[in-house]
Amino acid sequence: MAEEFPFDISPMYEGERVRKGDMYVELGGPNRDGFELVQVVDPDEVEDGKFTLIGPDILDMKEGEAYPYGMIYKVAGEKLEKDLEAVLERRHHEFQPYMQGYMHLNQRYDIWVRISKDMVKKGLKSFEQIAKATMMLYKNELPFIEKMEAIYITDEEKVKEELAKAMEIYKARDERARAIHDEDVDVFYGCTLCQAFAPTSVCVVTPDRPSLCGAMTWFDCRAAAKVDPEGPNFPIEKGECLDELKGEYSGVNEKAVELSGGEYDRIMLYTFMEYPHTSCGCFEVIGFYMPEVQGIGWVDRNYPAATPNGLPFSSMAGQAGGGKQTLGFLGIGIQYFYSPKFLQGEGGWTTTCWMPKALKERVLDAIPEDMRDKIATEEDATDIEQLREFLKRVNHPVVSKWAAEEEAEEEAVAEEAAPEAAAMPQMQMLQPGMMPQMQLPAFAPPSGGAAGGIKLILKNANIRVEKIVLKKKE
Amino acid sequence: MTTIVVSGKGGTGKTNVAALIVRIISERKVTLAIDADPDTNLAGALGASIRKTVGDIREGFLDEKDKLPPETDKQAHFEYRLMGIIEEGDRFDILAMGRPEGPGCYCYVNNVLRAIIERLEGNYEVVVIDTEAGLEHLSRRTVRDIDILLVVTDTSRRGLETADRIRKLANELNIRVKQIYVVANKVRDEKDREKLKNMAEEMGLELIGFIPFDEELAELDLDGKPLTQLKDSSPAFKAVKEIVERLNIM
Repeated sequence: MAEEFPFDISPMYEGERVRKGDMYVELGGPNRDGFELVQVVDPDEVEDGKFTLIGPDILDMKEGEAYPYGMIYKVAGEKLEKDLEAVLERRHHEFQPYMQGYMHLNQRYDIWVRISKDMVKKGLKSFEQIAKATMMLYKNELPFIEKMEAIYITDEEKVKEELAKAMEIYKARDERARAIHDEDVDVFYGCTLCQAFAPTSVCVVTPDRPSLCGAMTWFDCRAAAKVDPEGPNFPIEKGECLDELKGEYSGVNEKAVELSGGEYDRIMLYTFMEYPHTSCGCFEVIGFYMPEVQGIGWVDRNYPAATPNGLPFSSMAGQAGGGKQTLGFLGIGIQYFYSPKFLQGEGGWTTTCWMPKALKERVLDAIPEDMRDKIATEEDATDIEQLREFLKRVNHPVVSKWAAEEEAEEEAVAEEAAPEAAAMPQMQMLQPGMMPQMQLPAFAPPSGGAAGGIKLILKNANIRVEKIVLKKKE
Repeated sequence: MTTIVVSGKGGTGKTNVAALIVRIISERKVTLAIDADPDTNLAGALGASIRKTVGDIREGFLDEKDKLPPETDKQAHFEYRLMGIIEEGDRFDILAMGRPEGPGCYCYVNNVLRAIIERLEGNYEVVVIDTEAGLEHLSRRTVRDIDILLVVTDTSRRGLETADRIRKLANELNIRVKQIYVVANKVRDEKDREKLKNMAEEMGLELIGFIPFDEELAELDLDGKPLTQLKDSSPAFKAVKEIVERLNIM
């Protein structure tokens, strides 16, 4: 295999860098146009093994200089579909570095290549040798490629021309990728990168539900799982869809049991109050439920002040994190706002009542037009009173729930209280038919590993109080 | 590939020592200098200038990640970014780690950076890392196991105490260090040497060499000129050369 080429070919040269002082020429990179493209075409459009060069060849180039570089490959095969183009193209960055003395970084229109002086000294004369070695690697590794042809371009004008065409192709691919949804795939991915801080936390990353930390998409996890199967990312078979609206899948539930050490056996992907997804503490945004308005508020890490519930991001982070399913709080990544499945188990955007202005502006195009003016920011409301006023004024969808509540049955669910309770709830004298104004007790700061503070959930409650007497303890 | 970390109490001249080490070693070995001190003084001492740091890439990622095309290979993307911030010189290359982390989640970014920097280092014969006494980058594992840890002290007991603390910290952080040595810098006379030798022995620290106070170096420092202009015949240069020889890496 290696005998036909004047350079060694082996995976051990991956990661090889050619220093400026050692380079013969630089191709593409930060100062010149460069791109690589794989096209799946009909067999009669490919001449197997053919190489075409448009522009100067290696020995025509001046040592130490930088040149534009375009590499186009045409492939054909019975089992090849157009959809596989991107997959094949990604392998280019894997194969080319196998050549000793040839540095190849990144992909698509951001490639950076350097050929070392050594490579030329050892006998590299033409790009044809590079192309042929590359095609050989492709065919050896991927036998369903029946015919392959290469066209390399080093002429500045021609590179510009072909690059523009390639950009359209990349764009179309991105559109198709964005159109992939949870129902289109069989496999989700798990990420346990944060388990060092939260041993029971497992992020389930799906096309419609990116990671909480915002760093990993479903595509990233898929790539990482392939590259490092023993690492923090691994596939999760979707299994059966148990609930389409709330996003419950049998495969996910099984994995949840396994990975959370038995702590959880159900995770719903598009909900807030039912078996919500856990988080470590790295989320970009926290959602918090405000029972007084029966709606959800969102706050991001950058917002320093208290939200209408009286708590800032930092206080709530303890409640929402630590790898627990704490009802009433949900950590998410900003990209989730854009998901078509955003909170669909809970009514999507119709339950969102409040967000900081900067955050709202940032994700404005994710908010349905008819909801945009109905979501309050700190300019409209900074406490529950003001928020209720605002929501009533704009006739937010949650307002209809307030009316229904008066006719509903009472149901109170109280959970274990921690020894220290903070501020007393403020109560008003009630007139018949009036809504109780209740300020929930402030949560005690989380201590140790357990979630501290009181969790008091009153659903559909109708409380009538004649008189409350607050007396100082003697 | 040999990794040498140069650390020490602030003000002991460790960056200058690191710069001289880079200058000497790079004459014979392909060398990468990493400035892991958030104050980034090493480049200036070497006559290089830094445009962007690894910290900039890290922050930049948090800003751009939502705009990257859906199927971007983020590791490859980072490798390109990293390549773009390495300052390539004739004899050595230099990379600056830059500022520490802000708020936000860096788990993923640091994970990727760790892998890439390790791969990058594999291209060099010697990597010299200038880091502050807090060893922050080492604790974040953005720098891996160390062959030689050189702690620089000046003529002060506290400098040696810092050396002792650094050694303990390295242990606590479970960083594998093959050898730890102390280098005494800005030494005035024989009395200094005697005292330092005794104190080092008392603390169980191995003193590998003394660098005398050097007028010429002090002048360059005062004028902010790079140490590449320091003559081979200067006492400080000669002392560092001897120390490098004693380290047996060339």
